[in-house]
Amino acid sequence: MDADSIRRYGVRILTAAAFTAGILALLLLARSVENSAQFSRWQPWILLVNILGAIALMVLLARKFWQLYRDYRDHVPGSRLAMRTVLMFGALVIAPLVIVYLFSLDFINRGIDSWFRVEIKQGLNDAVVLSRSALDLRLREQARRTEIFARALRDLQGPELLQRLEEERRATEARQITVYDAYGRASAVSSATPLLQQPAPSPPEVTLQLAAGRSYVSLNSLANGQYSIETAAPIADSVAAHAGRRYVLIHYEVPQELSALAEGVQRTSSQYGDLSAVREPLKISFRLTLTLVVLLTLLAAIYGAIYSAQRLTRPVQDLIAGTRAVGKGELGTRLPLSSRDEMGLLVHSFNDMTKRLRRASEEAMRSRQAVERERERLAIILSRLSTGVIVTDRELTLHVANQSAGNILGGSFDAAVGQHLTQLPRGSARFATFIAELRSRLSSGTDEWREQLKLPGEAGERVLLWACTRLPDEREQGRVVIVFDDITALLAAQRDAAWGEVARRLAHEIKNPLTPIQLSAERLRRKLLGGMNAEDAQLLERATHTIVAQVDAMKQMVNAFSEYARAPDMKLQHFNLNQLVTEVAELYRVQDPSTEIRLDLDGGLPEIEADRGRVRQILANLITNGIEALAGVAGGCVEISTLQQRAEGAASAVICVRDNGPGFRKEMLGRLFDPYVSGKPRGTGLGLAIVKRIVEEHGGRVEAENRPEGGASILVFLPVSDQDRALLAGGERRMEMRRERA
Amino acid sequence: MQTISRIGVAALLLVALAAPRGVRSAGSLAGDFQVRSAFVVVDHGVLQLSAHVEYPINDRIRSALRDGVTLAFDLDVTISRHRRLWVDATVLEMTLRRELTLHAVTGRYVLRDEAGVEQESFPTLEAALDQLGRIEDLPILVESQLRGEAPWQIAVRAGVRRGRMPDALRALVFWTDDWHRTTDWYTWMLTP
Repeated sequence: MDADSIRRYGVRILTAAAFTAGILALLLLARSVENSAQFSRWQPWILLVNILGAIALMVLLARKFWQLYRDYRDHVPGSRLAMRTVLMFGALVIAPLVIVYLFSLDFINRGIDSWFRVEIKQGLNDAVVLSRSALDLRLREQARRTEIFARALRDLQGPELLQRLEEERRATEARQITVYDAYGRASAVSSATPLLQQPAPSPPEVTLQLAAGRSYVSLNSLANGQYSIETAAPIADSVAAHAGRRYVLIHYEVPQELSALAEGVQRTSSQYGDLSAVREPLKISFRLTLTLVVLLTLLAAIYGAIYSAQRLTRPVQDLIAGTRAVGKGELGTRLPLSSRDEMGLLVHSFNDMTKRLRRASEEAMRSRQAVERERERLAIILSRLSTGVIVTDRELTLHVANQSAGNILGGSFDAAVGQHLTQLPRGSARFATFIAELRSRLSSGTDEWREQLKLPGEAGERVLLWACTRLPDEREQGRVVIVFDDITALLAAQRDAAWGEVARRLAHEIKNPLTPIQLSAERLRRKLLGGMNAEDAQLLERATHTIVAQVDAMKQMVNAFSEYARAPDMKLQHFNLNQLVTEVAELYRVQDPSTEIRLDLDGGLPEIEADRGRVRQILANLITNGIEALAGVAGGCVEISTLQQRAEGAASAVICVRDNGPGFRKEMLGRLFDPYVSGKPRGTGLGLAIVKRIVEEHGGRVEAENRPEGGASILVFLPVSDQDRALLAGGERRMEMRRERA
Repeated sequence: MQTISRIGVAALLLVALAAPRGVRSAGSLAGDFQVRSAFVVVDHGVLQLSAHVEYPINDRIRSALRDGVTLAFDLDVTISRHRRLWVDATVLEMTLRRELTLHAVTGRYVLRDEAGVEQESFPTLEAALDQLGRIEDLPILVESQLRGEAPWQIAVRAGVRRGRMPDALRALVFWTDDWHRTTDWYTWMLTP
């Protein structure tokens, strides 16, 4: 059980104890009121129960106050409203309570005092005196009559005495007449009621009064409310022995009407006396009772105020807590509907609001997820796209860039989103040129274009087709998307195709007339040479020789073009590339011993599957180029190396031909493999074009660059097997598709 | 209705009793007040109590009586039997109540029982109190009603208070009333 549960149970037990104590005390008191003796006996228990109840009430109140103070101090939502409500209720209760209390105090004082007004007391006293006066008159009359009757009894004895007593009793309607002797014994009795026993002895005070020489008269009240008068007088007997010793005691009854009046006065006087005796204690008790009632009422009112305030503010607190929960995103928050009043309506509205919010949130979540899915799909497309895509704004802040953009530009956009494009590390010259060109365009206000862009590069000029357009979304105002693709290869392919067509036409259109020209020239020389003088013959000889030689040269050129333009018809076979390289190199060593040819061959290179004759041509062209480039260079050296390389799952044999000559001219680097591009005065410009064509026919590629230490370097990548060729062809197809899209 | 008013009075008493009781001194009833002697005799199978109680007498009492106040004199008698592991068993619990007033019309001190059946009057307060203090052969119990094993404890206590006051009011002024005084219990053991 946790501390909260224990506290909750404690409060419940305390409340139940206070309630039970109150009920128990009420029951005990209700019973004790019936019997004051019981009250005396139970009073300690009643006190104990009351004290316990009061303590429980005090503890509950103190706890409530502490809760209020703590909530107020901790700025608990609703605590200020609760505090204000309690103070307001308290003020509303205290003011009338104090007024009622003061008024009631005065009322009690005046009310109780009015019970004991002087006039009432005086009236009662007067009534008593009046009653006494009325009875005194009768007392005196009876006393005087008794004295007279006592004198009449002088010396009477025996029957005479009894007869006299009887006559007197009848005459005066006395209840009883008794004559006592000197010893206090009744010697003669006359009674209105039959005597069942001996008359009672004479009261001592009668004897004492008569002994003092005074007559005795007494007024007595009886239990039945009747009054009686006792009178006694000494009988003056002449007999010395009896003189002054006998006396007569007469009981008279006061008339009933007079007795009733006197008894009424007595009873009222007695009740007044009893009440007036408790006048002050009564006032104090009432004051204290009133004070306690007011105090308890006040405490109960405050407790009720706190309870009501807490009940009133609980929905408000729930609403605040619910609002905060909604603010934190807990849209499923629902509040308990505790009442059907305005507060209940508010809670209902809140629940309705959270329900709608939750629906809207779920809808937004679904939309977000859809957008996210689209974004992911777009990201996948962008990442797989061979076209470079960049989204930036006019300040050149990068927002989106795919991997192809980095590949094409020779840089990297990894983790560059959000950065300024000009602050990115510049991976290559074309990257910097691209950024500079982009910046220039955007700063000039241009945001729509589609054209080619030439970028410099170490391996030659690259040509991009780039297009820019403004994003239509208002939120992305100022953002542009740049789409670009490397169309260098495409352009080269277009050029290759054009040159192939030219070569084919040249071979067809030029080669055909060359043989008749050569034959005609030879026929002319043969026909005319015999009939000419020596000088003319020499001239003819030179002319025809020149024609034949030039026609031969043209035939060679046309053959070269024909070779360039001919359709691929490869005879693939497995052979050892290193062996072929060694053979070709040896031939050139013999032909041109002045140029050193070094070999650095990879012994682990497997046999390759290719057209041996065309590979030989590749080698021959490259070595020839190298040797020609070393013309006039002291210590010229052509270095041929082979090695194996694996890329994209495909194995390639690499032939690297390097020289230490002057290298390629920079302006030629981008067009080295184009036909009719040559750095030599007498070159046809078809050597490297043929190399490139043969390599591409094999599914490989060729690269040319200048060596940092000086000289040129050409790398030929040939697939090792047909399978490798197929793998590389897949990559090539992708490249082809990219070209087509571009 | 009576029950409601009774509960109302009880509620008032409840709050009144929540306050500490006032100091209840013997000021108004000052004077010697004790049970001087008491004994029980068995006469023809009936337990008869005789006791001598000395009641206080002072000017305040005289004055109160002159002002019409009624004084109630209680004589509490209990007979109980001791039990070892439980509270004592009560065999008898009785109170002899008598009232003393000064008759305003006759000027005599009137002594009557609670029911007002028997009544005596005395010319002086001393005579009345002397009569009050002499209890003779008061039958309290039939011997056959003495249940359980002997011995039994008999306790006698006398009390004086201002009488003729409604019980509710008496309860209300209980905590401020100094007109209430009791003697210590006068106890002795009764053996067969």
